[in-house]
Amino acid sequence: MTVAGYHIRLQRRTNLPGWKAALFSILAILFGLFLFSLIFWQAGQSPREIYKQIFGYAFFNSYGLRLTINRFIFLAFASYAFIIPYRAGLWNIGMPGQLYLGALAAFGVVYLLGGKTGEMTASQPVVITLMVLAALLAGALIGGIAGFLKGKWNVNEIVVTMMLNFIAFNLVAFMIKDGGPFMNLGGRGESFELPEAARAPLIAGFPYTLILVILLMIAIYLLFARMSLGYQIRAFGKNPPAARYAGVNPFWISVLVFLLGGALAGLAGYHYFAAVPGVYKIARTYGYFGDLSFYGMICGLISLGNPIATLFVALLFGGLSIGGRSAQGKLHLGFGVDYALMGMLMISLVAFQFFYHYQILITKQATPATARQYE
Amino acid sequence: MLAFLIRSLEAAMIFTFAGLGELVDQRSGVLNVGLEGIMLFGATLGFIAAQTTGSYLVGFLVGIGIGALLGLLHGFFSITLGVDQVVSGMGIWIFGFGMTTYIGNPYTGPLGLERLPTWFGISPFFFLAIIMVAVVWFLLNKTGWGLSIRSVGEQPSVAEVSGLKVARIRYLCVIFGGVMAGFAGAVYGLYYNPVWNYNFLMGWGFISLALVFFSMWNPYLLFGGAVLFGLLWQLSLNPQMFFPGLASRYIWRMVPFAMTILVLILISSKWFRSRWGATTPEALGKPYYKE
Repeated sequence: MTVAGYHIRLQRRTNLPGWKAALFSILAILFGLFLFSLIFWQAGQSPREIYKQIFGYAFFNSYGLRLTINRFIFLAFASYAFIIPYRAGLWNIGMPGQLYLGALAAFGVVYLLGGKTGEMTASQPVVITLMVLAALLAGALIGGIAGFLKGKWNVNEIVVTMMLNFIAFNLVAFMIKDGGPFMNLGGRGESFELPEAARAPLIAGFPYTLILVILLMIAIYLLFARMSLGYQIRAFGKNPPAARYAGVNPFWISVLVFLLGGALAGLAGYHYFAAVPGVYKIARTYGYFGDLSFYGMICGLISLGNPIATLFVALLFGGLSIGGRSAQGKLHLGFGVDYALMGMLMISLVAFQFFYHYQILITKQATPATARQYE
Repeated sequence: MLAFLIRSLEAAMIFTFAGLGELVDQRSGVLNVGLEGIMLFGATLGFIAAQTTGSYLVGFLVGIGIGALLGLLHGFFSITLGVDQVVSGMGIWIFGFGMTTYIGNPYTGPLGLERLPTWFGISPFFFLAIIMVAVVWFLLNKTGWGLSIRSVGEQPSVAEVSGLKVARIRYLCVIFGGVMAGFAGAVYGLYYNPVWNYNFLMGWGFISLALVFFSMWNPYLLFGGAVLFGLLWQLSLNPQMFFPGLASRYIWRMVPFAMTILVLILISSKWFRSRWGATTPEALGKPYYKE
């Protein structure tokens, strides 16, 4: 195509330097935010004012910041849960189901120790360690189902994890509603409240799970950058047949990445229902947190599976969804602004995928003869 | 019992509509995992349009229109821009999920229009579904168009050399897939379950996607699978008909999803594949670059 003497053409990229990938991701986020501002614009608000309000509440208001950090921790776990299978070329969209089961298992530990009826005598460190282990295990088990089926019979993991989400959703309802074993005795369709000893300790006002997020980031970074297992996962993700010839066992890789991903999503469930101050129960609206975990998919994709970059994106999105909710309340907008944000960011991300694969070359048109050659 | 059967067949017709579109789509080599998102959009916007105008016709047209647009969008991403088709499909699903939750929320509740008429208790759409199955089978297997679609899905470079416009054919198929998904969503939201609630499609888009894999890309098998799924779904919604008083309703609600997984395992097994002859379109999911 030629415009005003300049020749414009597309070229497929063979490789993409890291800083350029980061730039495109940032542009994708900015474009998503622009799309999102259209909602407020349609409601008669200037985007500048709105973003001032959203960011002001999410990051510069002490109450809002607390909510942001709590949501950030949740999104970080959910993103890790997506990233690990994603690096192996597999899609984990089962974060909701995995986190529901993680939460159920953590509450199950307290229930078995007599925490529902107030007879729990175990000490806080013991209870909390058991809860975390249970959450990891339960998430890993349900995640592992998808990995096992993928590895063994090549069953489509997207459909399986989606179906498992619905199964887990109903399992939670069974446990906490209609006289289920975890039901709150007040009968409000939510689970019993955790006793003091089962609540996560706070460090400087934030749940200790924040430290887990940082440690896991380092662990995942090392896994992919330094360890042979991480290398195998990446090789399998890039080119499964070649990896197989190189001695990578596809079955084990599928199972392993889903076990790890599921376990991390289980932690997300543990975090929101057992570690966030003021919650400490499986809320009636637990489905909302399941939906939120799809932000993890966006974080993982936009950071190209890099655990360090993911953290920044998760912090940003956590803040945006909290700030968006607050702005929604103030402006009396419809419910679900944070859902709309999720949709906008995702579609913008997909559109920007183009730049990861192509570059636009603009050259000054030289002599007519060479120009004709291009056309 | 009759009501139970009719309800199952009506569920089957929705799976069939969505699945047929996806089948043609995949036959041309484009995978669209965003079926759920398109159906959600068709259901939600169709519902809103029908409720505000009071006309079913407008509702269905809006559902079809938004489906075509989203199909076009998927085509633009995956054919023109060369984006990974799974990423694009996932994007369309999350886009649909997020936006319809926001847009539809003020309309939560029943549609409030007179029910659509039925023939002897069953929706006329069911017969339309059967006709569509035959038409799609005929088009794909007995006509020149079908041959073009299939060859584009098997060996796009060869098809291009023999004079077919790969991109154009794929675009048409993706838009057809979008139209069918949007229509299936509208039938769901306007007829099958005319009470809007957020994410009220409950994964039917993903089930339709699973059905396409089940069908080995054969419309008749797709229809058979859809009827099977419709029966299983209704059975698990009405367990008291066959197993009175057994287990909680929440446990029963898990059954259709568990069934879907079991059926998926069965159809992914070597035994099933070799029995029916796997005919996965060769170029499925691979973007085609014109050299």
